[in-house]
Amino acid sequence: MTTRHADDLLILNGVSKRYGGVKALQDVNFSCGRGRVHAVLGENGAGKSTLIKIISGVVQPDEGAMMLDGATVNFRSPAAANDAGIVCIFQELSLMPDLTVSDNISISSPPRKFGLIDAKAQRLRAEELLATIGCEDVNPLMRIRDLPLSRRQMVEIAKALGKKPKILILDEATSALTSSDVEKVYAMLARLKAEGVAILYISHRMHEIEALADDASVFRNGRHIETFKKGERSNDEIVQLMIGREISAHFLPKPAYELRKPLLEIRNLSWENRLHDVSLSVGRGEIVGLGGLDGQGQKELLLSMFGVLKRVSGDVLIDGVTQNLNSPIAAKAAGGGIALVPEDRKTEGLMLPMSIAENLVIASLDELSSGIFVDETKVSAAVADAIKRLKIKIGSPDDAVSTLSGGNQQKVVIAKWLMTRPDVILLNDPTRGIDVGTKQEIYRLLRELADEGAAILFYSTDYDELIGSCDRVAILYDGRIISELQGDAINEKNIVAASLNIAGQKSTGGTHAGH
Amino acid sequence: MIDMIKNISFSRLSRDDKPIAIAATFILVILIAGTIYTLDRFGSAPLFSPSYLVQQLQIGSFLGIVAAGMMIVILISQIDLSVPWTLAAGAMTATAVGGEWALPAALVVGLVVGTVNGLGVAYLRIPSMIFTLGVNAVMRGLMVAQTGGFAPQTKATDLMRYIAAERTLGIPHAIFVWLAVSILIVIMLRRTAFGRSIYAIGNKEAAAYLSGVPTKRVTILAFILCSVLASLAGVLLAGYSTKAYQGMGDAYVLPAIAAVVIGGTNILGGRGRYLGTVVGVILIVLLNSVLSIMEMPEAGRQIIYGLVIISMLLVYGRGEKATS
Repeated sequence: MTTRHADDLLILNGVSKRYGGVKALQDVNFSCGRGRVHAVLGENGAGKSTLIKIISGVVQPDEGAMMLDGATVNFRSPAAANDAGIVCIFQELSLMPDLTVSDNISISSPPRKFGLIDAKAQRLRAEELLATIGCEDVNPLMRIRDLPLSRRQMVEIAKALGKKPKILILDEATSALTSSDVEKVYAMLARLKAEGVAILYISHRMHEIEALADDASVFRNGRHIETFKKGERSNDEIVQLMIGREISAHFLPKPAYELRKPLLEIRNLSWENRLHDVSLSVGRGEIVGLGGLDGQGQKELLLSMFGVLKRVSGDVLIDGVTQNLNSPIAAKAAGGGIALVPEDRKTEGLMLPMSIAENLVIASLDELSSGIFVDETKVSAAVADAIKRLKIKIGSPDDAVSTLSGGNQQKVVIAKWLMTRPDVILLNDPTRGIDVGTKQEIYRLLRELADEGAAILFYSTDYDELIGSCDRVAILYDGRIISELQGDAINEKNIVAASLNIAGQKSTGGTHAGH
Repeated sequence: MIDMIKNISFSRLSRDDKPIAIAATFILVILIAGTIYTLDRFGSAPLFSPSYLVQQLQIGSFLGIVAAGMMIVILISQIDLSVPWTLAAGAMTATAVGGEWALPAALVVGLVVGTVNGLGVAYLRIPSMIFTLGVNAVMRGLMVAQTGGFAPQTKATDLMRYIAAERTLGIPHAIFVWLAVSILIVIMLRRTAFGRSIYAIGNKEAAAYLSGVPTKRVTILAFILCSVLASLAGVLLAGYSTKAYQGMGDAYVLPAIAAVVIGGTNILGGRGRYLGTVVGVILIVLLNSVLSIMEMPEAGRQIIYGLVIISMLLVYGRGEKATS
């Protein structure tokens, strides 16, 4: 079962780490061989992130020892780990938004000439590294800020490769990638493997792990549960090891499709050159999915309906009434209320250092006030309600929201908006980087809200999610809706075909973002 | 000194309370050090006498009112560098207008300056550090132009004397004004949606905006509050020193920012308790006073003053790094 060899590249013996009273890792034994892809599995909060942080020198273990290439090592900083050949691609992107792609790729050790940075060599180096992962379409002189999330993630990968890793750690590094990028990353990983690099792979996407991993280790509640070789465990068994309990069907059964009177109507929406004549309607009680490759205008569509984008042409109607959506404040008050769960919960959804309670009530302070004063009784009742309804796992509502796991943070964002009792709920990829259990809770919640009469518009990068939880799916391509699927037509084949726009014309490989 | 402060156990206090406790401890250190000096030199301990402490609070009330406004602006991660000439303009307008309209006229000046600052930062999106610095220069020019052509009245009115310098039951009225301002600020920060929004904007403006918080309105109101309080402080200061004069606000901007930061408010916004600002003001006023009692030359005073601020921040900064 557990396979540990003395000559493994990386060996951890009895490693423990505590944060205050919380045991993040307990007595973990773990090893990783040369030229192997080792998947690390577990729900959010299982200790995966802490394990990675210890290996990459971000935090130091309280107990235990780590051996690299047979020698005991003790990294005082990420730079020390980097020097030893341990390179990490973190879930939270580490790029500087205002620097160019090539600046970012060579940020820690730029090529120099006479002691100054050699811009030309730096650009060439960036081009070379991007080419190795099939990203020739990214201009090294572009600012990171101007790239869509999926391109940024590829730049992040290129940056890591530039450090010539012996051990490469990918922490949810593919969660924002388009399917064609994922292929390129697979090819790159295969090359690195052949060169003897050890790869630690963290992902919530089971089929990626199936395709890639040679070994897998399951973590739960800070403990190492089991390590096994590829094929030794079935998917169901793995999921059970991860959650420690029986898991029911992945998605809820969908209600039979019915034609509904539209609650939300979008008519001929256009914005700059990112959205062209988009028309779509969502009925009361309906969940409509937005699909397509990343960066085809899905995000802009949601933002324009929430009053964030300026100079949008076209109309948005709620219950037949045209709405003037010029700010989030207006959107919040429009019709029965619009809510948006934004793309990036850490920068757009939450005020991380503030408490859970403060974050929960920030969108509904007016409703929770009597006169000019915030009514503390109403606030604590509403907070308790929200925590209960979404089953948010917390110590105290006064703890900083940054202390929660990713899944629970996302629940806080959603709960914040449910407090405003919105009629229209917009969600931008709400399950990105979230564990299986929490994902299911979110699907169930969305269906519940729809049944209570909300209209839900839901962008997801995960096809399974669109198939499993949406009544209808609209696929965007280059700022247009090119296909609307419903009923049995919502299947992977149709979605993929529409996303690549194969039906109409020959696919261009799907790297269409950011001209 | 740093080690000494560090070794006193503040570890059980919350993140926001720790700086306040450290600053309060340092106030005691200043008083004790000063007393040791006066006992040695003069054989008396005037620093702990009520009349000395009340006197310091009266001086502190001017800085305290300015710092209260500055704290609001710092909490939304902005800064107001137009405070010196807003203060002077408030005072000069009050004395020039005179009579019963002196105080309202000064507050209107603050309202106008604050609105300009707020609009510039919220709508034109000019960084507040530059915009308010520009407004400060404009205000200065306007005031010089106003006093250049003719000699307006610069004498404080009786009412201004009354609220700034006179006493009831031995307590200067300026302290009551500071107290009233403080109570209003505390209620505003803790109990109103406006106060909650201030902290939200300071922590993550994008998230606050996407939550439907009226970020522009809150920003403008914060700047208005800061400027109105600065002009109020100007009126009080003119009343205290019996006249308004150019440059009377110059000595207030840095101490106000320092008081806010020493009190534990994050200079980048989003975090801090008002009590800290009050403690910071008292620390700065006492430090100045004790240094002058010690007959420290001006150069030495400036050096110690700067070092104290830096070392306090060093102490606060410790232990914050590990949280990611």
